[in-house]
Amino acid sequence: MELSRSAGVPSAGVALIALAAAALPLVTRDSYYLDVATTILMNLTLTMSFRLQVSTGQINMAHISFMGIGAYASALLVTRVGLSFWATLWIGPLVAAALAVPIGSVALRVSGPYYFLITFAFSEVVRLFFNNFFEGLFGGPSGLVGIPKPDRLLGLAFDGKLELYGLMAVLCVGVALALVRLDHSRFGLTAGAIRQADLLAETLGVNVFRYKLTTFVLGSFIAGLAGVFFAHFRRVLHSSDFGLEPMVLLVVFTVIGGTGSVWGPVVGTILMTIASELLRELHHYEILVFGAVLILTMLFAPEGLVALPGTARRLLRRLRGRAPAAAGVGLAP
Amino acid sequence: MRIRGGIAAVVMMALAATAGTTTPGAAQDKTLTIGVLGPLSGGAASYGVELVRGAEMRAEEINKGGGLKVGSDVYRIKLVSYDHKALAADAATAANKLVFQDKVKYIIGNAVGATCNAVQTVTEPEKVLFSFVCWGTSNLGPDKPHSFRAMLSQWEVAEPFYRWVKEKHPQVKRVAAISPNDTSGKDTNTAVVKALKGLGFEVAADEYYERGTKDFYPILTKILATKPDMLDVAAAPPGEAGLILKQARELGFKGPKGWTAGVNPVTLVSIAGKEAAEGVWSPANINVKSDFVSATVRRFGEEYEKRYKEVPGVIAVANYAAFDVFTKAMQDARSLDTDKVLAALTQKPFDTVWGRLVLGGKETYGIDRQFLYPVVISEIRDGKVVDIAQVLPAALKK
Amino acid sequence: MSIDLLVQALLNGFGLAMVYVLVALGLTLIFSILEIINFAHGEFYMLGGYVTYYAYALFGLNYFATLGLAILTVGLAGVVAERLIFHDLRGKALNAFIVSLGLLWVMQAGAQLAFGVLDKPVPSAFSGIVRVLGLVISVERLVVTLSAIVLIVALYLFLRLSRPGRAMRAVAQDADAAALQGVNIEAVAALGFGVGCALAGGAGGLLAPVFAVSPAMGALPVVKAFIIIIVGGMGSLPGAVLGGLLLGGVEGLGALFMGSAAVNILGFLMVIAVLLVRPRGLVGGA
Repeated sequence: MELSRSAGVPSAGVALIALAAAALPLVTRDSYYLDVATTILMNLTLTMSFRLQVSTGQINMAHISFMGIGAYASALLVTRVGLSFWATLWIGPLVAAALAVPIGSVALRVSGPYYFLITFAFSEVVRLFFNNFFEGLFGGPSGLVGIPKPDRLLGLAFDGKLELYGLMAVLCVGVALALVRLDHSRFGLTAGAIRQADLLAETLGVNVFRYKLTTFVLGSFIAGLAGVFFAHFRRVLHSSDFGLEPMVLLVVFTVIGGTGSVWGPVVGTILMTIASELLRELHHYEILVFGAVLILTMLFAPEGLVALPGTARRLLRRLRGRAPAAAGVGLAP
Repeated sequence: MRIRGGIAAVVMMALAATAGTTTPGAAQDKTLTIGVLGPLSGGAASYGVELVRGAEMRAEEINKGGGLKVGSDVYRIKLVSYDHKALAADAATAANKLVFQDKVKYIIGNAVGATCNAVQTVTEPEKVLFSFVCWGTSNLGPDKPHSFRAMLSQWEVAEPFYRWVKEKHPQVKRVAAISPNDTSGKDTNTAVVKALKGLGFEVAADEYYERGTKDFYPILTKILATKPDMLDVAAAPPGEAGLILKQARELGFKGPKGWTAGVNPVTLVSIAGKEAAEGVWSPANINVKSDFVSATVRRFGEEYEKRYKEVPGVIAVANYAAFDVFTKAMQDARSLDTDKVLAALTQKPFDTVWGRLVLGGKETYGIDRQFLYPVVISEIRDGKVVDIAQVLPAALKK
Repeated sequence: MSIDLLVQALLNGFGLAMVYVLVALGLTLIFSILEIINFAHGEFYMLGGYVTYYAYALFGLNYFATLGLAILTVGLAGVVAERLIFHDLRGKALNAFIVSLGLLWVMQAGAQLAFGVLDKPVPSAFSGIVRVLGLVISVERLVVTLSAIVLIVALYLFLRLSRPGRAMRAVAQDADAAALQGVNIEAVAALGFGVGCALAGGAGGLLAPVFAVSPAMGALPVVKAFIIIIVGGMGSLPGAVLGGLLLGGVEGLGALFMGSAAVNILGFLMVIAVLLVRPRGLVGGA
C-alpha cells in the first residue's frame, strides 16, 4: 500500500462530496437530474460498502440481497405494522445485519472463487424467495406496490424530489465519513493486510475470520440502509431489482473506479451512471458500448480509473526502460 | 497493442454508426415528442423491439403524410425510446428521463408487468398519458386515470375463448394451464382458472415455470400425470410456448391445445414444429397474412416484414394501433393537452387496424381504460394460422 | 404418487445433465489453467448454437459434421479471445470478472444485432420416443446424452494421454513448476481456453435442436454449470459428472413436489449445503 494514510486528505474529499451534493440544487432543480443524482448517491453507499468487503478480499455477490432485505423489511413494517419510516430507517438495516451474521458465517468458511459462488447462490436464494414464497407478503412476481414516501419529520415533508435527494445526500455523506474513518483506522489497516495475505495476518495474531465477518455485517447494514431509502423513494419493489444484473453493475462501478482506495467506487459510480443515462437511447448498443468500455478499461487501466495517472506513469517508464510490471487488482486465492 | 488498437477502432465505429442514426427533423414544423419504453436488450427484448417498431411505423406514416394536424398546428412526430432491461428500478429512471428531460406528455408502449407499476409512479402524478401492453389487473384502476392497456388481456379473452371451446368442442372437460411465474403469467392463469370454473370445466393443473426455462420435461411430466384433455400454454411467450408444445408432444400428449394470451403464432410454429403446433387455438393472436384481416393490416404486415425482416406479432400491431388511437384523439381534441385528449379518448369508438375499438373495462378494473376490439380465434393448421371465429368482448356488444 | 412417475421424473432430470456437465467442464478447465471465472462462457455456448443454426438448419450440413464444426469454430473463437483479452489476466480474478462480463455484453448485443432478437428454430435431427416399461425416453435426448458422454470421454483421454493435455494438467497443478519443466505456459493457456470454449460450443450445438437458439440462451446453462462445479468440486472431471447427476436428479424430483418456478432454489441450496460440509466440493481435492 503506497497510498498515504493521513486521514486529512480523505476527510477533505468527503467534505468535497458534501459540498457538491449541497450545491447541486442551487444549479438545477430539474426532476430528472435530481432523480439521477439521488440514484448516484444511493449507488454510492452501495459501492462504498461493497468496496469495504473487497478490501478484505471478498467479492460478495449477495451484497445487493441485503439491500433487498432492508427494502422489503421497511416496506412491510411501514405498510403492515404501521411503523414510521424514521423508525424503519434503522430497523431495516438492523434486520439486514442480523441476517448477515449467519449468512456471513457460512459463506466466509470458503474463500476465492468458492466465496464468490456461494454468495451468488445466497443471492439467488434470497431473490427466488422474494419472488416465489409468501406471495401475500412479498407481492411475488407482481412486486410490492403502494409503498408510501417517508412521513414528516420535525415539520419537514418528504414528498418532493428535492427533499428525498437531501435525505439521501445526508445518508450518503454520513456513510462516506464513517467508511473513510474506518479505512484509516487500525481496522482499515488490518483489512488491507488481510487482503494482501490472509495467512500472514493470521500468524501475526489477527483473527481473520472475525475481521471478515465484521466487514460483511457492517457492509450489509449499509446496504440495508440504502435498501430502506430505495423502497420509499421508488415506492415499488420487485425481486429482480435485487438480482444478478444490478449486483453485477455494482461490481462494475466499483472495479472500474478502482478498489485500491475509497475514491475508486465514487469515480466509477458517478461516471458509469452518467454514461449509462447518456447512452440510454442506444438500446442494445448501450450494452455493446458498455461491454467494450469494460474490456478496454481493464486492459489499459487494470487498477481502475483512479489509479490511471500512476498506471500511465509506470507504463511510460516501462516503455523507456525496464520497470516493475503493474500489479493487478488480483485477489489472494 | 496493435490488436487492441483494432478493438478500440471497432468500438469507435460502433459509436459512430449509432450516432449517425438520429436524423434532424424539419425545422419549420413543430415537434411532438412521444416516448416508448420497453426491454430492448436481454431475454425479453423481443417485446420491446416490437413496441418500438410498431410506434416507429405509424410515426413515419404520419410524418410522410405531412405531419400531424392538431387544431391549426402541424407537428412532426419524434420518437424517443429507452431500454429498461425489464428492471423495475431502471424503468422508473427511464420514465423520469422521458417526462422531465424530454418533456414527453405521452408514453405509448411498455411491456413487462413489474416495470409498469414503476413507470406509473412517475406518469400518474405528472398526468402523462401512458399506454402499455403489460398484463395484470393492478396496472389499471380509478387511482390511475392516465394509464391505458392497448392490448386485450386475458381478462377480456379468457371467458369468451372458453365459452367458444365449450360450445364447439364439448369433449374438452379437464384443462391444464401453464404460464411463466411473473405478473402476466400469474394474471393469465388466474383469469383462465376463473373462466374455466365459471363455465363448468375442471382445472387439471395450474402451473408456473421460471421465465427462461428451456427444459419442460419435469413440469410437463407432472401436468400430464393429471390427465388433462386440453393444454393451455396461457401466457408463455412464443419461444417458450413452442418448446412446451414440442416437448408435450414428445411426452405423448395428443389432446387439443390453447394459447389464451398468445402473441406471435409464427414464432410458435417455427419453434414447436408443424406437428406439435397443429391445432393450437388462440384468441389473442393476429395473423397479418390471414385472408380475414383488413387490407390495412395486411399492408402493415408486408411493410413491417420488408423493413425488419421479421413477421410482426400482436404487440407490434397493438402499439401501431395505440399510436393511431392517441394521435387521432389529439386531432379530435384539437389540442395536445392531456386532459382534453383523455376526454376525447373515452368519447367515441375509433377505426383501427383491429377494426372498431372502444375504451372499456369498467366492470373489471373500475375504469374504462382497456382497449376493446373484436377477438379473433385462430387455429394453427399445417403450420398456417387460420382465423376460425370472431367473438366480441362483452363491452363491445353495446 | 406412482413409482413410474418418480422414475420418469428422475429420467427427466438426468436427460440433459451430461450436456450441462460439458459446459461445466469447460468452465472448470479454464479456471484450473487461468485461475479466472469466465462469465462469458454461456455466450460461447450461444455461439455454438448459432453455428448449428446456420450450418445445419439453413445450410443443411450433416448433424454430426455440424457438431464438429461448432466445436472447432467456438474453440477457435476461444483461442482468439484468450490471446486478445484474457492472457494478461491470469489469476486476477476481479479484473477477469469485469472483462468477461464486458465480453458477455458485447457478444450478447452483437448476437442480437447479427442474428435478430427472435428465437430461431433448429429442426430435430432425431425424432420419436422410446417407451420402456411405461417410461418415455425421447430419441433426440438420448442421442444428445450419448454424444455428450462421448465428448466427456474424449476430453478425459485428451487430458490423460495427449502431450498438450498432460501439459494442461501440469499447469493446472502448479504453473511455476510446469514452466520450469519447459512447458510453454502461454500456449497451454490459449489452448486450454480454446478447449474450454469448444466444450461450451459443443454443448450449444447439441442443445440447439432441442431448445432453439436465441441471443440470451447462454444465461441458463452457465448458472447450472456453476452449481455443478461447486457441488462436484472445481477442477475435477468425475466431480462435474457427479454434480451434474445430482443437480439433474434433485431438479427432476423437485418438480414433482413443489412449484416448478420454486425448484430453481434447490440447486442453490444444494451449493450452500455442500460447501458447508465439504468446502472444496464433493470430489474436490486440495
